[in-house]
Amino acid sequence: MRTKPSKRLLELTINGETYELAVEPQETLSEVLRNRIGLTGVKEGCGTGECGSCTVLVEGEPVLGCLLLAVECERKRVETIEGQAEEGVLTPVQQAFLEKGAVQCGFCTPGMVLASTALLKRRPNPSEEEIQEALEGHLCRCTGYNKIMEAVLHAASSAADKR
Amino acid sequence: MYLPRFAFEKPTSLKEASSLLTEKAVKSTLLAGGTDLLPRMKYGVADPERLISLKGLGVSAPKVLPEGDLILDGASTLASVALSPEVAENAPLLAAAAGRVATREIRNVATLAGNLCQDTRCLYFNQRHTFQFVEPCFKRGGDFCYFIPKGKKCWAVYMSDTAPALICLGAKIQVEGDGAGALLDLEALYSGDSLHPLTIGSDTIISGIRVPPTGGTRGWAFSKLTLREGMEFGALNIAVLLETGKDPGTCTRARIAVGAVSPAPVRALKSEGLLVGGPFSPALLAEAARQVAEEVTVIPHHGYSKWYLTRALEVEALNALTRAVNQLTGGR
Repeated sequence: MRTKPSKRLLELTINGETYELAVEPQETLSEVLRNRIGLTGVKEGCGTGECGSCTVLVEGEPVLGCLLLAVECERKRVETIEGQAEEGVLTPVQQAFLEKGAVQCGFCTPGMVLASTALLKRRPNPSEEEIQEALEGHLCRCTGYNKIMEAVLHAASSAADKR
Repeated sequence: MYLPRFAFEKPTSLKEASSLLTEKAVKSTLLAGGTDLLPRMKYGVADPERLISLKGLGVSAPKVLPEGDLILDGASTLASVALSPEVAENAPLLAAAAGRVATREIRNVATLAGNLCQDTRCLYFNQRHTFQFVEPCFKRGGDFCYFIPKGKKCWAVYMSDTAPALICLGAKIQVEGDGAGALLDLEALYSGDSLHPLTIGSDTIISGIRVPPTGGTRGWAFSKLTLREGMEFGALNIAVLLETGKDPGTCTRARIAVGAVSPAPVRALKSEGLLVGGPFSPALLAEAARQVAEEVTVIPHHGYSKWYLTRALEVEALNALTRAVNQLTGGR
């Protein structure tokens, strides 16, 4: 017997703002962010955890929005690409992606930027192997990854110069 | 790609979760990390009526008991296992294996018990069947195998990276539910049947994993063969754990487990027997690696031929054994 799913009231902090939403159990975090909140910077590619384009930060850690039920994120802190730049000023990672030409079609870029941001918070001066490990779940069909690697290294060295 | 509709419960105790699972009127499935379950639901090859989330139960940090056993919560994420100082010190083989599962995004959510309980995989089964295939295969309730059309059974393989490592370490699992509070050898969890790979019932929860201390001096290695590194299921994986007594050159205990080539992780018992007692030498390691490839019957899968996997298994076994011995002898 299939029981009737019921909506659940969910409180989420997204990019610093608190939202109260009634969501169905089967709604994923990326669906809620895109369809309910309008944060279309969260890109859903494969929908099965293989491309990384739906990556968002939950409690500061990168996770896949397509494989996380929204109801499992109750009272969690969620960050998307829209919450990165403040008053039009890009973050060092965004700036480095721009300067190094690591952005082409842009579909993978939000996920790449967020995963790189989490990496640099954890490892301010990462090796190339650590960058590869952090970005291994992100597919890009435009840049060939070299520019992205350069951008993350550039962001790390820019931040080190400022320290 | 959307999920089908289902009901959702988030119990706050193991007892409540067990009781929900035993309600026969509703087809329920446990939801831990969901990184294996949710794609199968999106593909339409798993269709539970209700998901019972384990997120409400909380997670205990890894701890070491006075007798040396390492206790892990079944709901620990793979990232937390891979990065835990307690695991790195007491079971570095497990930390290495957990760190090789999928990607950091997945490891941040996927759980250790979930990784041990993942379903078997097949190139044909793990796809959307609605537009690609018509005939249901064994795994979907039919009597047909796309991989071997004349075959009489399912040929899907079990892919976990952490299972071979934990089997080498002699891990036990704490089972709640129909086996109420039982402590089982991890090896006994696997049936060897692709259709029903686990021996525990669907109303059972793995609440913890207990890893006994390694005796003597240990050398270990975990190898996972993928063509592109990064995020891929393994063509094969192999975990090796060697122990020595006072003489670092002589093996007192050997464990070799191979994964991703059959419906369950496989111990290479004859090869282990070759290693025990004998002083390590290049000739012995080569013979042991050859023996691994001979005694482990591989199922060709995901485009890898049987010939390739058998040859690759010998090469990976030799690499892993050499690395483990180098740890014991300091590279001598």
